[in-house]
Amino acid sequence: MNAARPLPVVAALLLGAAAAAQQRVDADEFQHLEPVLQRAIAAAAPFVVTVETFGGTRRVLGPDVPIDGDGPPRPRPAPKAKPPEPPEQPEQPEPPAPEGEPVPEGDKKDGEPKDGERKPDADKKPKLPLVPEGFQQTRGKTTGVVLTADGWILVSRFALNFDPTTVLITVPGRGTFHAERAGEDTSRGLALVKIAAEGLPVPTFVPPAEVAVGQWAFALGRTFAADEPTVHLGIVSAKKRLYGRALQIDAYTSPANYGGAVVDVHGRVLGIAVPLSPSGRNAGVEWYDSGIGFAVTIADIPDLLARMQQGQVLQRGWLGVHLEPSHLGPGAKIAGAPKDGAAAAAGLRKGDVVVALDGIEVQNGPHLQMLLGARLGGDTVTLTWRDDGQGEPIQKVVTLLDAPWSEQKRDTNADLPASFPLPAPEEGR
Amino acid sequence: MRTAFALFLLASLLPAQTADFGKAWSFDERKPQTRIEQTIDAVLPSVVKIHGASGLATISAYATGVIVSDRGHILTLDQIMIQKGKTRVVLYDGSVHDALLLPEEPKLGLRLLKIDPAQVHGELRPLWPPAEQDAGFRTGQFVVSIGNAFRLAEFSEKVSATFGVVVGRANTALRYRLADVKYDGDVILTDACNNPGHYGGGLFTLDGRWIGLNLRLLDSKETNTMLSAAIPTRDLLPYLEQHVLGERREQTVVTKVPAWTGVVLFEQAGRQSPPAYVERVIAGSPAAQLGLRPDDLIVRIDDWSIRTCREFRDVLARYAAGQTVKLVWKRGTKIVDGELVLAEEPK
Repeated sequence: MNAARPLPVVAALLLGAAAAAQQRVDADEFQHLEPVLQRAIAAAAPFVVTVETFGGTRRVLGPDVPIDGDGPPRPRPAPKAKPPEPPEQPEQPEPPAPEGEPVPEGDKKDGEPKDGERKPDADKKPKLPLVPEGFQQTRGKTTGVVLTADGWILVSRFALNFDPTTVLITVPGRGTFHAERAGEDTSRGLALVKIAAEGLPVPTFVPPAEVAVGQWAFALGRTFAADEPTVHLGIVSAKKRLYGRALQIDAYTSPANYGGAVVDVHGRVLGIAVPLSPSGRNAGVEWYDSGIGFAVTIADIPDLLARMQQGQVLQRGWLGVHLEPSHLGPGAKIAGAPKDGAAAAAGLRKGDVVVALDGIEVQNGPHLQMLLGARLGGDTVTLTWRDDGQGEPIQKVVTLLDAPWSEQKRDTNADLPASFPLPAPEEGR
Repeated sequence: MRTAFALFLLASLLPAQTADFGKAWSFDERKPQTRIEQTIDAVLPSVVKIHGASGLATISAYATGVIVSDRGHILTLDQIMIQKGKTRVVLYDGSVHDALLLPEEPKLGLRLLKIDPAQVHGELRPLWPPAEQDAGFRTGQFVVSIGNAFRLAEFSEKVSATFGVVVGRANTALRYRLADVKYDGDVILTDACNNPGHYGGGLFTLDGRWIGLNLRLLDSKETNTMLSAAIPTRDLLPYLEQHVLGERREQTVVTKVPAWTGVVLFEQAGRQSPPAYVERVIAGSPAAQLGLRPDDLIVRIDDWSIRTCREFRDVLARYAAGQTVKLVWKRGTKIVDGELVLAEEPK
């Protein structure tokens, strides 16, 4: 009798397990998600702050919004407050000039403007249309995220598009502070400001490697009400978007939460919502609340923050090569190297084949673009190539330049003060 | 002629539809199981379709309303389409009723309609009165929004349900295009979409509590985005109490004396109004007593963010002499605040 018992018991257990497995389909999942969401909001609310800007120049966005590497770089002194100990920065003050070669004309160190570089686009146009194309960027409040307890605040570059004369940060429960602008990363749409405060609530940043596609992502903003953040629900749609700069999320992003934290179910920061778009231009109104949003990840690039704390205005890095599309690999074949580019200065010529970047074997042209896509001006890369695709590989350390997008090309006809030497006319690009 | 044809059409449809009266179509085949399904099932009979006057192509002649009393009171947004003698209410069972127009609430932009309860088969299922503490809402709360978007539901077809979350609360600092909406208080923002026809419908939590009345899609000047929003139920209570229960609240009529601060702003003519920098302060004025000085930048009045001189004027126009506001200003890099007692401008 006793010996026979185990079988029905096992059978019953199996049946029970099967039934339990079936019940695991939870029809009321949103009811269970609600407290989770509320806790995440409560955890993240303290470090999501309001950004208000005053003054500045109204700008029309639309078809002609600048590419994100754009924006005339301006040197800005670091705020008086002593920045926290930056990680070692050996190469920063003087990017080493490629041996034997003169520093190319286009080399702008740390976003230092060349004379004549700052040319307002509007000056060129003889007449503006009565009704301008595009739309006016709103002057509303935007959102920011506390970065450190001693007052460094990450905001969206969207908030500073006007070049406001005054930026105020309101930390919930702590009051309003005057903010000084520090550095920016135009390629990520991020900016850093400093307020005089201590002991601010600091978020936990999730390293991008720990993020999984499909996990919940809640986009928080603090635009409409001061005492309570707004929340948009979504999931992580894709990782490593925009050359590995950002997560793609399907939570609605718009000026209502640009600069705000995109958090996971524990209220930890996955990224910062920014107005980027796949074209590389700043996202216009057609991207608002579209279900395609971008949250830049910064947890894995501490030196970016250090450089921004020093007041550097960072731009997309530029190697300065045209790639030969018909060359399918291995390696990336150079179809041309503009003479003011970093590649030409390093000695790369048409016909050379880049075989490795930073020790990673380059498979083809798009691979090289991907490896370089998220780099910034001033970054150094170790480039390995073969002259004309043959011979011994040549290896050199190359410092990327700030991207001179065509919109930013020096205007030789611009009215310059007589005391400044006129820049030489440029060929190419 | 056309009317007669339409009537004939309607009459020919009637026998076919009668069998379905009183049933929720969505749950014909099985009972509602999840909380969302149960909520929708429970509140659908309390939401009605409203058909009104048409004429202009830009005016949609349909809206939604919610039943707020068993005596036939129906609450909706006051819209152009709601005209005396031309407003009809279609109940859950498909029955059509002529509606009387009760006095509107101009401040909230609401209108009560009344149908004859004697004409209704079965009983009306009012959503009201909601207990005041029950009408609360929180950011991140899941909601079901019920309404007749784009007049998709005709006759006894059930109105649409959309699902979303309470995105947040927008306080009075939210600036939307004024033509959009008359309501000027806090609104519930949600991502359960409001579309034409959905206006006047109800917003419900997962446990079936009525927390808001759907507003028109708002066009936010603050963010260049469209916002789905609802008036919190608790703000509707005074109006409902007065007209449904007949409890007349004391209306204190205040003659408004324009507020004066004594601040002269640095304002130039031009298309763009500059930030509200103080140019001078009139001696003995409230601002002088508070210690405002030239070159201070006024950044906030109460919850209103003041970004330009124009906004300073506009916001001040909402106040009257004698009221106290919290003023925030920036002096150098310091943020200062203080209580400002608004005065009457001296002659």
